[in-house]
This record gives sequence, structure tokens and C-alpha cells, in this order.
Amino acid sequence: MKEENLENLLNELAERTAEQARPGLAEDIKQQIPQRLTTHRGGMNTVNIIIDLRISKLAAAAVIIIAMILLASFFGGRDSTGGIYQESKLFVRYLLGTGKNSALTARLTYEHLVEKGIDVVYYGDSIDREDSNAVLMQWKVAEGRYKVLFSDLREKEVSAEELIRLQARMLQKKTK
Amino acid sequence: MEKKAKLTEQKGDFAHHIGGQQGVGRKKKHLEERRDSLAAGLRAGNHAAAAELVDIYYEQIYLFMRRLGHSCEASEDLTQESFLQAWQHIGQLREGKALNSWLYRIASNVSKLHWRRHKGKEAVGIEGFEVPDSSEADPDEIGRNEELERLKDAVRQLPRKYREVIVLHYMQHLTIAEAAEAAGVRKGTFKSRLNRALKALREQVI
Repeated sequence: MKEENLENLLNELAERTAEQARPGLAEDIKQQIPQRLTTHRGGMNTVNIIIDLRISKLAAAAVIIIAMILLASFFGGRDSTGGIYQESKLFVRYLLGTGKNSALTARLTYEHLVEKGIDVVYYGDSIDREDSNAVLMQWKVAEGRYKVLFSDLREKEVSAEELIRLQARMLQKKTK
Repeated sequence: MEKKAKLTEQKGDFAHHIGGQQGVGRKKKHLEERRDSLAAGLRAGNHAAAAELVDIYYEQIYLFMRRLGHSCEASEDLTQESFLQAWQHIGQLREGKALNSWLYRIASNVSKLHWRRHKGKEAVGIEGFEVPDSSEADPDEIGRNEELERLKDAVRQLPRKYREVIVLHYMQHLTIAEAAEAAGVRKGTFKSRLNRALKALREQVI
């Protein structure tokens, strides 16, 4: 079949299959269109687009965070909102596998907290990393309440008494 | 040469869909002005402009969805969704950008998302002409109708990205440039897809 014939046939097919839309469809659509334009949620739309690309939500989140990090790095490694950059880095480290990068993640967490002006007590290398219940760092969140980050990067809010117990346990283990 | 003439003719597709043949030049200018003012109204968030956009394009977009292989009900929903998306993303309509290719681009994306969300769903053929009773009809006409019927099935069976280029260019009558923009690809890519699609159709129909 010649090219021209096929094109003519396609044009004819288009004419002969020009199905009419339902009467009233236009009115239905017009009624759905909001009177006022509202600012759409750009962030969520981006997430939805990436999710719609049929990758998992976790991967979608990672893509967005990596993009944020790259942007933040491009503009000097810091962002004006404060914290997003560090939190993104932490999250990426977390996604990449906490086991291998726990030391780095802990360090980043510490730096992030210090940057936020929080008084953090960091035990660093003095603890046994193999002990998942060893306190890696602690900081005060309210009167008599403390946040504790264990060596396996679990976070827990504890009372002052519980914190003393945890520290005592660490000391006991060290003296053994 | 003939192809060039065809493309030039198709450039005025806005006129093609709305207007007649008389006083084409004057009417075309008037329609272009109307299109510009419509685009300006849309960019300004004018609801009346949105309603006018629906009036002008809803049949085209509905037909586009049907030709892409969506059912009647799905096509209605997707047409509605396309206009809502267009209204919500009106800020992306740049000055000087063709209104119809922008709208088709949105409709194409809406359709793609629908296919992704309904994986495995078969394309539905659009209802067309009936092949006339062989006792009454002219044999040439019967032959032609059968050829068209085969072509219709072949279009339906094309992979989606090839079906889309055929529909945009030959059925919705968008120029290559407009259709490429609507499909979200470069002109060269669009042309090569079109050639592959035509080749596939030729093999099927012969």
C-alpha cells in the first residue's frame, strides 16, 4: 500500500469514526471547574508524579531528597529553612543502610543537633558499638525528660531515672 | 511538496475545527486573535475563559481519548480530568505557546496515567461505520469499508506510543510540531515514531 493511500485512509477513518460526545458533557465539565484558582500543592504533585512512574514510595522519597541535597549543595550546602539539608542527608544515610553507616549517621545526627543549639552529650567511641543498648548520645527535651540515641540508632524518650539506669549499666559493662 | 502543503493547511487546525472554508484568511486571523485573548484570559485565571476553552475543545479531547482506546465512560472522565488539570496548571501556559498542543499534552499525560493505573486494561475500539449490506452497496464501497475496518483494528492494536502519534497527527489533525509537543517528544523523535507506526499499519492492513 502506498504511503499516500494509507494517509488518506487514516484521514477517512478519522472522519468516519468522529463519535459525538454526550450532550451535556461540556456543562458537566464547566460545573466541575472551580470558580477560583487555588495554588496547587506543588510538592505533593511532584511526589505523585514520581510515584506514578511506578517506583516505590520509598524510592520516590529518596529521589526527591537526593534532588533536594543536590540543590542545597549547589547553593552552598545550606538551606534557608535550616535542618532540611541535614535531615535529608541523615535520611539518605538511613536509606542506604544504617548498619554500614551508623558511625557516620550518628555523627551527622550529633552535628545536626548541635547546629540546632541543643546541648547534646555524646559518648562517641567510649561505648561498645556491639551493645545495642549502649547510649550513644543524650539530650534534654523537657524537665526530667531526655532523648536517648542508642548505638543501633534507636531513639527513645526516657525519664531522668531511666537515663541514670542506662548510664549505670554502661559503666558497669565498662568496668567488667 | 504535497506534504508541505498539507502541513501548512493543518497549521490552521483551530480554524479547521471551528470555521468553514469561506474567507479563510480573515477568519483565521480573527480566530488567532480569539485564541490569543482566550489564552490571556486563562492566564489571568478568568473562569469565563476556562468555560470557553471547554466549549471549544471538549469534543476534540473526548474524541482523542476514545481514539486512544479508552471506553466511553473513561473518556468522559479523562476529558473532565484534562480540563481540571489544565485549569490547575494554567500558570504553565507560556505566552506564545500553542493552546491546543498544550491542552493535548495535558490530555495525553492524563491518558498515560490512566493506563498506568489500570495496567492490563485492553484498548477499546471506537464505534465507527457499519459495513453496508452486500446486496445493496456498491462493491467498491464494500471493499473500501473492509479496508477501513482492517485499518481501524490495526490502529487499535498498535503499541500505545505509536497509536498516539497516529491519532494526534492523522486523526486529530495536529501539525507535526504541535503533535510532537503534545506527545512530549522532539520533532525528529515524533517523525520516526510516525514512520514506524505507519510501517506497522501497512504490514497489518496489506
